[in-house]
Amino acid sequence: MGLKSYSRARAVHVMLVYTGGCNGCDIEIVNCIFSPKYDAEQYKVFLTWNPREADVLVVTGPVTKHVEEPLKAIYESIPEPKAVVAAGACATMGGVYKNIYGDIPSEEIAGPVDEIIPVAAKIPGCAVRPEDVLSGVVAALPLLLNAK
Amino acid sequence: MDNDNKVTTQVIETEVPMGTIHSAALEPYRLRLFVEDEIVRDAELTVGVNHRGIERIMEGLPVEKANSLTEKICGICSNSHIWNSCLVAEKGLEIDVPPRAEYIRIIMEELERLHSHLLYLAHGSEVLGHETFAMRLFYIRETVMELLRMIGGNRVQYGASIIGGVRPRCDLDEMRIQKIIEGMDYVEEKVLDFADRFIRDPMVMSRISGIAAITKEDARRLATTGPSLRATGIGEDLRLDMKQYEPFEFDVITQDTGDVKANLLMRVLEIPESIKIIRQAIKDLPDGKITNRSWEMQDTDIIRSYIEVPRGKLYHSYKIEDGRVRNSIVRTPSITNINTMEFACIGTHITDAQLAIVQCDPCFTCTDRAVQIVDQPFRKNRII
Amino acid sequence: MDTSMIIISIIAVIGTLIVAFAVSVWLPGIERKFVQARIQQRVGPPISSPGFMAPIKFFFKEAMTPNSPMPRLYNALPLISLIIVVFILLFIMPQMYFLGALASIIAIVGLLKVEEIMYMFMGSLSKSVLSVNMPFPDLVKGAKHVDATRSFIEELSTLRAFRLIAFGSFPLYIALFVPVVMAKSIYIGDIVAFQQLNGPVLFTVAGVIGAIVYFIGFMILLNEYPFAIMKTKADVIEGPLLEYMSKYRAYTYITRGFLIFVLASLFATMFLGTPPNIFSPGILITIAVAIIFPILMAVMSAFSPIFTFRQFYPVVAATSILGVLALVAAFITL
Repeated sequence: MGLKSYSRARAVHVMLVYTGGCNGCDIEIVNCIFSPKYDAEQYKVFLTWNPREADVLVVTGPVTKHVEEPLKAIYESIPEPKAVVAAGACATMGGVYKNIYGDIPSEEIAGPVDEIIPVAAKIPGCAVRPEDVLSGVVAALPLLLNAK
Repeated sequence: MDNDNKVTTQVIETEVPMGTIHSAALEPYRLRLFVEDEIVRDAELTVGVNHRGIERIMEGLPVEKANSLTEKICGICSNSHIWNSCLVAEKGLEIDVPPRAEYIRIIMEELERLHSHLLYLAHGSEVLGHETFAMRLFYIRETVMELLRMIGGNRVQYGASIIGGVRPRCDLDEMRIQKIIEGMDYVEEKVLDFADRFIRDPMVMSRISGIAAITKEDARRLATTGPSLRATGIGEDLRLDMKQYEPFEFDVITQDTGDVKANLLMRVLEIPESIKIIRQAIKDLPDGKITNRSWEMQDTDIIRSYIEVPRGKLYHSYKIEDGRVRNSIVRTPSITNINTMEFACIGTHITDAQLAIVQCDPCFTCTDRAVQIVDQPFRKNRII
Repeated sequence: MDTSMIIISIIAVIGTLIVAFAVSVWLPGIERKFVQARIQQRVGPPISSPGFMAPIKFFFKEAMTPNSPMPRLYNALPLISLIIVVFILLFIMPQMYFLGALASIIAIVGLLKVEEIMYMFMGSLSKSVLSVNMPFPDLVKGAKHVDATRSFIEELSTLRAFRLIAFGSFPLYIALFVPVVMAKSIYIGDIVAFQQLNGPVLFTVAGVIGAIVYFIGFMILLNEYPFAIMKTKADVIEGPLLEYMSKYRAYTYITRGFLIFVLASLFATMFLGTPPNIFSPGILITIAVAIIFPILMAVMSAFSPIFTFRQFYPVVAATSILGVLALVAAFITL
């Protein structure tokens, strides 16, 4: 492992984007970074709110039509190499909001995430567990490490 | 606070937009602050980013499925939504809920209030810039989350209530009761420690006392609800009127000032009350079955139900047609509190403006549903 | 003779710079891992990650054009401030005292001022996606004030940086003049010589008060947590630094670590009489100060919320008064 891959593995900056989920995943992800019990920093994962600093973009929620453009803008402002992690059932397949099949079809959802931006790893769960979030972010790492 | 100071008529020159993706907000919303020299003169909070049209996609779903969908309205107070939605059906179909199930529902609800209030405090500390407090609160909250996972099988969407009772998985055996008792002791001790440390911290106190104060009259006018209303001195708690809470003794906490400090302390002091209710429920937990399955589906008129949830009054209503949900309406507490948030921002420094919003415990995923907010200037009318 | 002296001086200067660099990259890690993470009862990141590996990682990232009216100038600014910090370190090295007026307290105060002004330039040149540029479908719906100018959150930071220049760095500058008063000279060489004769300034009453004032000024200058209003997460996210990416972000990281080291060695020079010099054992004192200062700073920042100007003004005023007291005490003990 060269210096490039090594340094990338030693400092991973994660940015969170909430795209209209139910808050469950969002808070679990914040929990896994802020709670001393999970403490993402011990796995060299740092939280940032600035897309220019981020390596991994964690997206939760089914991506409502309002947030589609902001999500693209955020994705485009992250410099390469970057990886997107879709966390939760909504982000991976639209969740109940897209697939409930009542009398009126769902019209507000532009997602799931991989229809808008390329996704590197998907974390299942409703809501995701903090352990799964950490393993999902780590699963997206090889993409970063092997990028040129 | 001087009220004339808050109402401005002059042209405001600078707008600082924040969001929809911003570090101080856990959720996507757009905040526009109209400032003069870093002092907020007017604020506008645009929701709608989270709009998923839940009530519309609920149309025509079987009642059980619709109840599960209401749980997905919010990841913080999910149990409140499913509970209230079940209450609507139970009221319409005249189903008697076994007492044991009522008690378990109360335990879930109060555990949820604990985790919601702890999250609120942690988020508040984070917006204050106090990372250490936020982390300590998240650590305390973890105990509550583990208890919820133990009872419901999931950390967030536990889905305890079903029509006629609670899910069989959520029944409480001896081991679970013991764990809840231990957990409550731990949480109470830690929260009281924290509260002690919190109110003795001069730097934190100087940041939060007197900021974004709301008077009783303003709170009434703005239709504030929940702990934010009680923080202004109005002891209004729907739990006092709910028949589910009749067997329990608890105090309604009020604060006087209505500022950020009062709001934060409000939540801190409500935590021991919730623990008190949980202890009583555990102690008097009745025996018997937990689900009443002897009921029949029939058509009903529109049925309404109000309950008190961690953020205030929650309203659900729908009518049942051929076992399917029609005309569903959900009205969450945050939708009325938006006015309070906008009002509380006015006259504060920009850094405090986020705090003024957080003080009302915003939950925009709850708020963004099919309801269209007709924007009326709050000085003229009450909203909705 | 002369040439060998020059060569030794050059080696000393370069060696000191290397030591300064080597120490400064570990300081953010020490802060984060050994202080804040311990206070917060968690494991915390590896010590190399925040200060050492993160800049290296940023060097390997794609350099996009920042959203800025003058992207090149914007990208050049962190490098300029790094150079300024290096110059401050150069001017307090004993090999550089022949520079006369440049190796004086006035030059250092001036350079620190320039360092602060950089944030203003950065803030006004950064136009990040996170505020006005954020695409939002219904911009006008329900707008209360349609005519208002829409301002970037970085412009807020610029305003705050301006206020910090106006009053925020008072404590540091007042504290710097305590040794000047005692040594009756603005030249660093004289101040060091005075302390070698009469013992360090720190061990006098004026020196102790001055050191406290210096420390608070140090935190304000570094925008560390209670005084982080210029880049607080509650509203301006990262403020002036929002648009930096790849190697330019690495420069901002390095500059910050270096500034911590330089301000600590400035303290060691002015209050302990040991200028940074790789050939003397005094360099150990410099390094010790450079480690103790961030640790104290991390403890302070872990236990305090962000100060808005409502708290900021009184703190600065009180510290400045304390600094003036130190100056008076220094005059009395002359």
